[in-house]
Amino acid sequence: MRILVVVQRYGPEVVGGSESHARVVAQRLAMVNEVEIATTNALDYWSWAPHFAVGESMDGPIRVRRFAVTGLRSTTFKENERHVLFEPHALAEEQGWLAMQGPHAPGLLEFLRREGQAYDAILFYTYIYEPTAAGLPLVPERAALISTAHDEEPLRLVPYRVLFQLPRAFGFLTPEERALVHARFRNEHIPSEVLGIGLDAPPWHDSEPFRERYAPRGPLVLYLGQVSEGKAVDELLADWMAYRDLGGAGSLVLAGTARMPLPKRDDIVALGRVSDEDKYALLEAADALVLPSHLESLGIVLLEAWQVGTPCLVSAKNKVTTGQVGRANGGASYGPGGFATALGAVLGRRDELGASGRAYVERECTWPAFDARLEQLVDLVAN
Amino acid sequence: MTGPSLLVVVQRYGDVPGGAEAHARSVVQRLAPHFAIEVATTNSTDYLTWKGDLTAGLDRVDGVTVRRFPVERPRAWNFKVYERRAFRSPHTLDDERAFIDAQGPYAPELLEFLFKRGREYDHALFFTYIYYPTVLGLPLVPERAVLVPTAHEESAIGLAAYKPVFHGPRAIAYNTEEERRMVWRRFRNERVSNEIVGVGIDVPAERNATRFREKHGISGAYLLYVGRIGVSKGSRELFANYQSWRASDPAHDVSLVLVGDTEIAVPKTSGIVHLGRLSEQDKWDALAGCAAFVMPSLLESLSLVTLEAWAAGRPVIVDARSPVLAGMTRRAGAGLAYRGVAEFAEICELLLDRPELGDRLGLAGAEFVARTYTWPRVVETYLDLFAEVRARLAA
Repeated sequence: MRILVVVQRYGPEVVGGSESHARVVAQRLAMVNEVEIATTNALDYWSWAPHFAVGESMDGPIRVRRFAVTGLRSTTFKENERHVLFEPHALAEEQGWLAMQGPHAPGLLEFLRREGQAYDAILFYTYIYEPTAAGLPLVPERAALISTAHDEEPLRLVPYRVLFQLPRAFGFLTPEERALVHARFRNEHIPSEVLGIGLDAPPWHDSEPFRERYAPRGPLVLYLGQVSEGKAVDELLADWMAYRDLGGAGSLVLAGTARMPLPKRDDIVALGRVSDEDKYALLEAADALVLPSHLESLGIVLLEAWQVGTPCLVSAKNKVTTGQVGRANGGASYGPGGFATALGAVLGRRDELGASGRAYVERECTWPAFDARLEQLVDLVAN
Repeated sequence: MTGPSLLVVVQRYGDVPGGAEAHARSVVQRLAPHFAIEVATTNSTDYLTWKGDLTAGLDRVDGVTVRRFPVERPRAWNFKVYERRAFRSPHTLDDERAFIDAQGPYAPELLEFLFKRGREYDHALFFTYIYYPTVLGLPLVPERAVLVPTAHEESAIGLAAYKPVFHGPRAIAYNTEEERRMVWRRFRNERVSNEIVGVGIDVPAERNATRFREKHGISGAYLLYVGRIGVSKGSRELFANYQSWRASDPAHDVSLVLVGDTEIAVPKTSGIVHLGRLSEQDKWDALAGCAAFVMPSLLESLSLVTLEAWAAGRPVIVDARSPVLAGMTRRAGAGLAYRGVAEFAEICELLLDRPELGDRLGLAGAEFVARTYTWPRVVETYLDLFAEVRARLAA
């Protein structure tokens, strides 16, 4: 089959959850199909500044077609966004928001209109950006939407009213995303597949050095990811300090780029970005992984923790990660004020919850299991 | 009327010409007892200019609230230029958007109303896929929308801009099997819930051909055409076919009676009689007496007057190139289709020489209409479609 994947940014150097998912899907599909990418020449999602060469290139067996972004993101975008999200406004303003948000790549849309019918299936990534919101309506008869939707304000905007009625099938990352989309758009009649993700086996790693360093001080609680308020690390710090004030022991280790000030304390350790080997060594050494973020669409780090048998603690405010933890029986979720209790419960059953999480990942996140779900999705669209 | 609310969206409404518009009005009248019904339309009666000749604002037609939104600019005087740009290959998405705006009726306040208040209605019923109110309005309320496309083969339907109109609504009410097949082939939108609905034909109890002949001084056999007389309706071909047949076969004495408004000149040939617009009763009297009803238009989604001719028990003569008319005529077994002038002449001669054949075809037509195009069936089908939409919204 000829399959096209449309995504706002693409490439090994592109950072972003949906973009990474798109590339993984393209690579998996390319093992048995002819796969092409339609994307832009941008690397970052805040300026959409040109970075890659426009035109065709190859990413392994995958043909990548890059179309030029015309115009950078407007400097007044945030103000305009606030206006359409929170103030009375006209239809045209709401429709204009899409082009303003970018990446505005008219060539990509023309390509879809002209050449779309040459593909058996077209997979669109991320509902929110113009290549999908304006591109999918040009080829609905062969389109799957991998929406990566959150419960966020833009989901209410007018371009998405019809977008979510048009695809032949949906690919969701989690059952929670599916429930959100169905509740919002009443489109249960459109078939869907919960894709999740596939994972490679962890690389060689050695958890002993981390164990030796942290074990004498009590449990090692790990946070892995961007260290920022956006990821609710500020809440985690407050919860951690309250836990310590109640007499809890141990260390909170933060591994990831720091984008916020951190308190100077012996029990809070910021490692910055770590290598893939260190990541898995830390995950294995940890007594629990904690993910406080409210806005995770999949929470891959939970799956990685379970790969090495470590249980997870997630914010109950996030339905997705709470759902994942429940399905895997691989940890616990905590509400406001409940961090210390939940952490205690997870630490008390560390091995049992970790083993259950590991079994879940081995069942759901192997490549054959993922490929089967992906094939199901493509079949829904291509037939 | 309380009950579920229904907003009907159509480009023109009220005492306006046009098949789709008449269709919309008759459906509104029949659905009014079942819904809290309103109409959203424009303040224009003229699809060639879209000039705002009615007062914008709230109006009432047949006891139903009609919201008329102003047409903010008339149809572009150089609309044909926009049409050519959008229909040529290659063209751009901008060409398509410009065509939609230029074609009109350009009524942004109607869209604004749908954007802000459309979701206050349980249902929205859009008539005619092609015009601005539907192509830009339906995507604002797709989860409650039912579309009556009244589609036929034409250049516009090939534009990418129309894909959301056919893939986005909750359900589609097609007029005929032929229309549905054409749309499915083009759009591959089989998954959208749909039914063949169309309209019901009201047949007056009494039809009197003699009264028509006396009133209008028509003697002898006559072929009848009812409808707009214009290029897009195939009127030129009809004149040419009739004249050429009469010239080659002076033995048959038969006139061609035309009923309706003219957009082009009617030839002053002997035998062609133009009567202008007629009352309903006059029309049915005329239908009752014709040797055959002639429908030369190629671009019909559902020809009401063809159904009426059948309901009156008369055979029809249609152009074989019109997929809908030829397909319906074949399925109904209620007329004959011609390819070219020679076959047109042959068919006319056959029906004139063997009146019993015309009567038999006409009877088959009456049965076909009674089977499919009656109001009780149409209303019931709409009620089912809307109930399905409502069930999904409430789930």
